[in-house]
Amino acid sequence: MTTAVSQFDDAAVRFPRPLRLTFRDDLRSTLLSWLVKSFLFVVTFCSVAAVLLIFVFVIRQAAPFFMGDGGSAQERIREFFTSRRWFPEHQAHPEYGILAIIAGSFYVTIASLLIAVPTGLLAAIFLSDIASFRVRQICKPLIEILAAIPSVAYGVFAVMVVAPWLQKNLGFPTGTNALNASIILSMMAMPTIISIAEDALTAVGREIREASYGLGATRAETILRIVIPAAHSGILAAVILGMMRAVGETMVVWMASGNAAQIPSPWWDLSQSVRTMTATIAGELGEVPQGTIHFHSLFAIGLVLLIFTFCLNLLSEHFIMQMKKPKR
Amino acid sequence: MLWRQIKNIVFTVFCSGSVLLLAAALLFFLVPMIWKGSQAVFFRKTVEFDKMQMELFRRGHPAVLEKITAQTNQARQPALALLDHFSRGVDTTLLSKEARSAYQQFGRHLRYREVSDEEYTRLREEAKDIRDAFLKAVETTDKTEAESFLDLVDAQQNNPSFQDSPFRIVFSLSKDYRQILQDIDLSRRSEYAAELDIVKTEMRKLFGPLPGESVPPLAQDRFGATRWDVAQKHLRYLIYQTKWVPSEQEDHRLIARQIRRDDPEEGIFGKTELAPLFSMVEQNLAAMLQPRPTIYWQYFLDDSTAGHYFGGAGPEILGTLLLTVLSMCFAVPLGVLSAAYLVEYAADGIITRVIRTCINTLAGVPSIVYGLFGLAFFVLMVGKPCILSASLTLGLLVLPVIIRASEEAIRAVPQSYKEASLALGAGKFRTFLTVTLPAAGPGILTGIILSLSRAAGETAPILFAGAVALGPIPNVGLHPKWLFQPTRALSYGCYDITVGDRLAMQVPHNQFGMVMTLILLVLLLNLAAIFLRWRMSRKLQGI
Amino acid sequence: MMIRHGKTLLSFIGLTLWIVQPVSAAESKTLQIDGSTTVGPLGDAFAEIFKELHPDVSITVKKTGSGDGAAALIDGRCDIAMMSRFMKDKEFQQAVEKGVFPVAHVIAMDGVCVVVHPSNPITELRTEQIRDIYMGKITNWKELGGPDMPIVPVSRDTSSGTYESFHLMVMNNEKMASNVEYVNSNPQAHARVRSTPGAIGYVGIGFLDRYVKTLKIDGIMPTRSTIAKGVYPVSRPLFLFTNGYPKPGSIVHAFCTFYLTEKGQEIIEAKGFVPLTEY
Repeated sequence: MTTAVSQFDDAAVRFPRPLRLTFRDDLRSTLLSWLVKSFLFVVTFCSVAAVLLIFVFVIRQAAPFFMGDGGSAQERIREFFTSRRWFPEHQAHPEYGILAIIAGSFYVTIASLLIAVPTGLLAAIFLSDIASFRVRQICKPLIEILAAIPSVAYGVFAVMVVAPWLQKNLGFPTGTNALNASIILSMMAMPTIISIAEDALTAVGREIREASYGLGATRAETILRIVIPAAHSGILAAVILGMMRAVGETMVVWMASGNAAQIPSPWWDLSQSVRTMTATIAGELGEVPQGTIHFHSLFAIGLVLLIFTFCLNLLSEHFIMQMKKPKR
Repeated sequence: MLWRQIKNIVFTVFCSGSVLLLAAALLFFLVPMIWKGSQAVFFRKTVEFDKMQMELFRRGHPAVLEKITAQTNQARQPALALLDHFSRGVDTTLLSKEARSAYQQFGRHLRYREVSDEEYTRLREEAKDIRDAFLKAVETTDKTEAESFLDLVDAQQNNPSFQDSPFRIVFSLSKDYRQILQDIDLSRRSEYAAELDIVKTEMRKLFGPLPGESVPPLAQDRFGATRWDVAQKHLRYLIYQTKWVPSEQEDHRLIARQIRRDDPEEGIFGKTELAPLFSMVEQNLAAMLQPRPTIYWQYFLDDSTAGHYFGGAGPEILGTLLLTVLSMCFAVPLGVLSAAYLVEYAADGIITRVIRTCINTLAGVPSIVYGLFGLAFFVLMVGKPCILSASLTLGLLVLPVIIRASEEAIRAVPQSYKEASLALGAGKFRTFLTVTLPAAGPGILTGIILSLSRAAGETAPILFAGAVALGPIPNVGLHPKWLFQPTRALSYGCYDITVGDRLAMQVPHNQFGMVMTLILLVLLLNLAAIFLRWRMSRKLQGI
Repeated sequence: MMIRHGKTLLSFIGLTLWIVQPVSAAESKTLQIDGSTTVGPLGDAFAEIFKELHPDVSITVKKTGSGDGAAALIDGRCDIAMMSRFMKDKEFQQAVEKGVFPVAHVIAMDGVCVVVHPSNPITELRTEQIRDIYMGKITNWKELGGPDMPIVPVSRDTSSGTYESFHLMVMNNEKMASNVEYVNSNPQAHARVRSTPGAIGYVGIGFLDRYVKTLKIDGIMPTRSTIAKGVYPVSRPLFLFTNGYPKPGSIVHAFCTFYLTEKGQEIIEAKGFVPLTEY
């Protein structure tokens, strides 16, 4: 960096040069700037390439599951998405149904959002409309730290602190269950929700708020009736991004959700164990013989997860675009 | 109007409450984790800890250690002697083993004495009879029967042929055993034996291998309780036995009852010679172990024994540093240049939108899918799971974070800076390198630090891409060989030590210590980022 | 400002590397061990002793699972694969196709023990009863003469070697009910049963202790002797796999035959497995 700065200083000294450029100079600089631009473009394109590579490699490894020997692709796909029975290692009749596993992912995600969205939204309102500058300066780092704590540390917390507590004080038969995972996931999704929702609320602008106050509305009325409806697309984006965080989280659900491939019955009973897609991959990838149908089925789960988060991502982008569009 | 005001206040309270809830959640998480983890560093050590440090890490003063060891050994001696004496009566394998070896030595002794063949056979036969009688006396559970067998043994006591031979040990054994028979209820011997096994195990956990035992092969068994809290725990296990008895309610459940082993009524050793042992250990434990407070700061440097039983998290910290720094080496140039392109060059076209979508997608890809991709691509590309493949995977993971942070930082550079540079005739790229980049530097650095902390904490991507539970410490040097070794890492270590390893469950302070190290590392990085940003905002405000 | 911070950061990193570097030992030979989480502790302990015996060898132990161990051996990523099950046909086929000839070394025996919470009065179950519990036909301890408490069946994840042994020897290849809870490792199964009054689970014999109660199966208590004799119905061998029989005198050979030495057997016993030979 030192050289860069000194070069800049030197530039002022070396500046005197003919203002009229020769054709060669012109060509050179045009070529050079074109080269630089294309170089930067190529570098930037790495991200695109990475996404493509991820898709290609996950699909390549997942394909043998759908196309592989034994059973037609259609049957496989139907079983994959409609059967609740996940017995990939059974010797005579392996079954690859991930309905219960998808349901498990949804259970912990939805339950964590039920906690995280109201809390996160209220906190975002506090930060954008209620807190003074000074309070905000204190709260922001707090939220950042909450976001920065590694998932495996949360996982350890879930297993060693929360699970025994749940079991002892709430009398659950098992402490590692959907509720435990949801509580921890909500803690992890909250920072995302807060920061994006706060952006959305701030983006609504002073004028609208002042107009509302001017008409005699209280703060609660202004925010609930005016600001939130105006910021709804940003808030939706926040919810979706929080959801992505919860769906994609691995270590916490693996350690805290109990990993039973079942749909809880009765359906609202969060004290039962569930198993999520991410946990299935993380738990079984190490044990399964590579190149078997089971191995490829794990990549198939990864593909489902990937497509799901990709769609959510597109959706959130759509909402963010809407938020950024000037309001009429 | 009042109703509206109340609603307003309630709303405000709820909003502030949710932030307080967040803070409470953070505290509820951080306090126990840090507190429990800090016990890996701050604790009361015992003399066994010094012994362990001396033997495993060559740390401490031999002379001082010797002095303390002598003191503690003296304090332990009565208890250990009592245990030894009692176990001779109960642990029959020990007695019979000694008798057998005495018989074997007797045979060797005879061969050296060069007695005649007939004499040899006769003496051997006689000795064998005596030995067998003794063995039977030891094995039987009937007291009178045992005594009659012992009488048979003692009858030969004055036989001159055994006087100066190794075989006379058998007679002293027999005398000991006869005395033991007076104290002990032979019919309960098997019961005693099972309990004594537990007592012995706990004594070993407290004081290391018992006298006369060979040095155990594993380091974990070579030392007693190295920490005072662990010693307290084992003292409890030593003194109390848990009896599961039917509960009074009609639900068939058993409930736990803690009984002192030396309780005169119910305790198993209450009426035996061993009874004083428990109060002896209980009262003199401090003298036996000499606890002192210590700060074991070497926890952050030390290697560990299998299962993290002893030692610290040094290699894990090094591994995490290597992985994160290396991943930054891939991600930072790519990320910053991408950001430069997006801010300075990209027109708002379809391609830019695709690129942006891809970056967002990359940010949203679940970490386990990065793990899948790392296994299917980087590991395949590099050839095996190692530092290189793991840090490439991590680099890809943090790429979008860096791009976004850099983009924001570059955008925040005032347009006037760039315009001044451009007006001076510098090209676009030169302007970027010499003006925009230095001005955006702190912002980019903040992003880098945050992604360092993200990369340090991620576990799922490196599960299958190069993290191991036990491995050599990478020999970092100019030769790139170390790039192709797998490494330990804090995040993986946290996982392994919590759910993967049984041994670690006996050392919760080390479990939490590892997690605390990871949390502290991440917190430090974040605080650095927060501080940097604070400095930046002050500078922008012109203070 | 950027410059100063950059330098501080760099020097900090450099300093850390410099401090920690002297710890690392010079190495010439390497030994990579990969595989099962069950055999893992044995691998760890053997490696610890080996570090003392052969300070010039750098040993890596990775505990990811039997399948990953096999794959690593096939790909040449490791020298020794620890496995709690025998290699599958598919794995053998892949190995031979790649020119790797796996040789099995049985280093110890392991019994899969059925455990319950110590507050549970049940002391003995028959294989059929255990099967019924895991198939969801028996859901309350009341039905077995115990307290009125729902049964929480805990199983290892379906891809583990322990699960496979249990599945084969107790479950008779019947599929488990969906209310069965899956955990990823033996210690976790132990912890689940320890903390849950209604739980039933199965763990390797090395994981038995005062916090859980071991059940007799068909009237036989799992002990060292019943497992070594093969009387206990659910026991299995633990394997090391190498590529071909290791050259006598090589470090791999020394590792694979370490279980025959006295020290090796002491370790096997200390880690709670059953040694095959007795000194």
